[in-house]
Amino acid sequence: MNYSALFLQLLPETVLLLTALGLMGAAIASESRNGKALPNKVAMGVSALGILVAAVLQTRVPDALASTTPLLAADGVTMIFKWVILGLGLLAVLLPPAKREIPNPGEYYAMIQFSLIGLMLAVATNHLLMLFVALELASLTLYLLVGFPRTARTTEASLKYFLFGGVSAAFMLFGLSLIYGFCPSPYLPDVAAKLAESGLSPIGAAGIVMVLVGLGFKLAAAPFHFWAPDVYQGGPATSVGLVVAASKVAGMVVLVRFLVLGFGGTEGWTTGLSVVAAVSMVAGNLLALAQQSVRRLLAYSAVANTGYLLVGVCGNGALSSGTALFYVLVYGLGTFGAFAVTAGVERETGSDSVESFAGLVKRSPMLALALLVCLASLAGIPPLAGFAGKFAMFSAALKEGMSGGSMPLAWLVGLAAVMSAISLYYYISVLKQAFVREPVSGSGCKLPVAHVLTVVVPAVALVVLGLFPGLLMDPIADAVAGLLAMK
Amino acid sequence: MNPAWTLISAFAGALLVLLLPARMAVHSRVVALVAALIGMVTGAVDCLIRLRHPEHAVWSLDCEWIPSMGARFHLEADGLTLVLMLLTGVVAIAGVLFSWNVNQRQRAFFAWFLMIIGGVYGVFMSRDVFLMFVFYEMVILPKFMLISIWGSTNREYGAMKLTMYSIGASALILLGLAAAYAGAGGTSFDLMHLASAEYSTGLQAWAFPVLFLGFTILGGIWPFHTWAPTGHVAAPTAGSMLLAGVVMKLGAFGALMVAMPLFPEGFAMWKGMIAGLAIIGVMYGAFTALQQKDLKFVIGYSSVSHMGMVVLGLAAGTHWGLRGAALQMVSHGVIAGLLFGIAGRVVYARTHTRDLDELEGFDLWRTLPGAAIGFTLATAASMGLPGFSGFVAEISVAIGLWQSFPWLVPLLVLGIIVTGAFSLRALQKGFFAHRKVAKVDAPDLPPLTWPEITAISLLLLVSLSIGIYPKPWVTLIDETLRSPLFHSILSLP
Repeated sequence: MNYSALFLQLLPETVLLLTALGLMGAAIASESRNGKALPNKVAMGVSALGILVAAVLQTRVPDALASTTPLLAADGVTMIFKWVILGLGLLAVLLPPAKREIPNPGEYYAMIQFSLIGLMLAVATNHLLMLFVALELASLTLYLLVGFPRTARTTEASLKYFLFGGVSAAFMLFGLSLIYGFCPSPYLPDVAAKLAESGLSPIGAAGIVMVLVGLGFKLAAAPFHFWAPDVYQGGPATSVGLVVAASKVAGMVVLVRFLVLGFGGTEGWTTGLSVVAAVSMVAGNLLALAQQSVRRLLAYSAVANTGYLLVGVCGNGALSSGTALFYVLVYGLGTFGAFAVTAGVERETGSDSVESFAGLVKRSPMLALALLVCLASLAGIPPLAGFAGKFAMFSAALKEGMSGGSMPLAWLVGLAAVMSAISLYYYISVLKQAFVREPVSGSGCKLPVAHVLTVVVPAVALVVLGLFPGLLMDPIADAVAGLLAMK
Repeated sequence: MNPAWTLISAFAGALLVLLLPARMAVHSRVVALVAALIGMVTGAVDCLIRLRHPEHAVWSLDCEWIPSMGARFHLEADGLTLVLMLLTGVVAIAGVLFSWNVNQRQRAFFAWFLMIIGGVYGVFMSRDVFLMFVFYEMVILPKFMLISIWGSTNREYGAMKLTMYSIGASALILLGLAAAYAGAGGTSFDLMHLASAEYSTGLQAWAFPVLFLGFTILGGIWPFHTWAPTGHVAAPTAGSMLLAGVVMKLGAFGALMVAMPLFPEGFAMWKGMIAGLAIIGVMYGAFTALQQKDLKFVIGYSSVSHMGMVVLGLAAGTHWGLRGAALQMVSHGVIAGLLFGIAGRVVYARTHTRDLDELEGFDLWRTLPGAAIGFTLATAASMGLPGFSGFVAEISVAIGLWQSFPWLVPLLVLGIIVTGAFSLRALQKGFFAHRKVAKVDAPDLPPLTWPEITAISLLLLVSLSIGIYPKPWVTLIDETLRSPLFHSILSLP
């Protein structure tokens, strides 16, 4: 094995690891030397710096790097999505925890580094074992991150997340073991080869179902979404920021690798998956209509969006899964931006209810404008990126699901389009408060610079990607096509 | 002049208005007026150039946009597009003039206003359906904001209803377009490419109604018209003018340029059904307008009736029918703008009522003669009297209908007669009532202001010019109808 190449390939993760260890060491040193926890700002700064360095080093990872071990992939998807994870992770770190100060920031931010390592490895592997380990590293740290600082609310959220997560991890591991029984290799291209050779056996099918249950949980697909509203509402903003964006993106990449690369040769799973997609879209959108808390609203919108994303995966082709990966990135940006605005409003008014957004445009035009961009993008209004993403994904799903002139996925795409129209109702209810209603309190929102960045960057990105979707859609589509050529 | 100036002026104007410092907010109306003026002049000049030199190639702009999907930034300005651009410019100017004294949050008002205008120009010029859909949907949020912030009666309800109808319609369009794109091989969104592709009959049978209905919901097709009267009434005057004047045309335009050429077989299957819905719309709108007490609701339902005629012309599917539909789009755009402008701005701002019974007490033909004259002429145009645009359009639709569905013509005539009835009723009650009881002296109302007079004259001029000398308009519209896009439709048995 070429260890120097391996080291180069894992350099960004190594930096994150060193940052985490450094943070923990500093936290201990600070407590033992002057009895006080590491200052929040310092921990946040070091953490952000670590991610930034990792992101820069990620550019140094040579493009044409051949994979040094079957455990790690070095394809285009890996390159792009490691970047994406780092970017979304950086945004999450910059977002202050909002409700209350974290008492032990050293550990908290170290934990974030660990979860980012997990997410980065999860998008970078075609190996089932590695995939499981990476996802669990990310998940376990996320369960804990949601539980900071210890209050009844966060503990409830964290515990719920953990219990559901634990069960789903068990499902997933069992499913993976069944798949190993079907094809005695944990390497996805081998699975695809075996599938092409002998077709899907019942054991393999059972394995797919079990893994889908596990991944469905990570992606908050209905009916595995029950943790999402509590986590979104209860957790500190930073952790939730990580859950809403980076973890979702990683989950989708894993899903595409697993289903389309590993089991793209069979159509067996598309029916089941399309049912899950339909249930998620309907449940997410209808439940979101009833929400008064914007955090919970975003949670149900996350469920609904998972439904749309699964429509893309159901297309079972390079273009449909490529556009789905583009859409998950765009969705991540939009929902993160909306969440960051919510955190800003919460900081000022102490509440995330829809009413607390009243008159936001007068209190803080910038926050209101960013909210408009993010929510309109989520609702799929052009010229924002959410529109391009949805349209591309739905039409690609129709096209690649086509068999002999008929379009078996037309009902699903139709449902997705209608549901996406319904979603505008709840997004626009928030916008109505922000733009139409008069403010209750006259004071303006003053936010720290880091927080402003977390609001502005996604909004600007959504506008730019909306006007020029090709900037990212083309590379992602090419990368996914390259990935699927491995079969 | 380069037709792209219409788009550029609208969007640049919107941006400029937003960037104005707060103390200059009042000047945002000047910026908006200049932007609208550039748009209209561009449209007018290009129409004239096109008429003088029909042999020149049509202006078009075609550049790469999203390669992985095959979407291109493809604009084109052929005859029909130029006519509709001119219409948009005229309505935009009139809208700015009628909003001259908006006094709250002016910058935001004119920014949203110009964004709608820009989106409308974009739809009319796009020849790539993805791009067209982008512009089409871009209009939705500004509409919501315009109505819910600056509107009147029941504004939040009206705005939400209109928005949900629009986005619901968009969902249908999205499905239809995606099906066409996938069915044509999934390589390009170009209108000509999609229209020349072969689709299976099964696909056409479901994709055509989905796409056509999606577009015509925005065109106010019965029974999905209910957003239109409430939305028009709730909207501020300029909003009603834009909505009825040009935004409803987007739906009809999409149905004509996209839904029908893409799926001609589907059209042949469904045209009887469409004609039925359209004729019901014509009559239903007219009869409902006859019952209304609020002047704006009268106009709102008359829009439903008039847009029904557009759809009727489309359903006829003959050259006369399509030409009549296009003419009616322009004609109704001008007339609805005029009616809403007078009722919503000129009258309401002075009397603070639109209730026909209450208006009787104002003796408007004495106290506000300018408005009474304007409204009388507008009513005449709306009733389809010869000499106004309405006549030319309605006669073309009727001829087209005669060729395809002769037995529907009597119903159309009945609808036109009822239109006359409700128009005269509104006119008589609103403006020419004899005061039964002299409760109070008719109050002194301030006379018409210059912006109002200019706007009214401009709109009337366009309606009259179509009515008196329709030839140039027809020439331009026919140029588009002769394009290969419509061969399959016009050659249907």
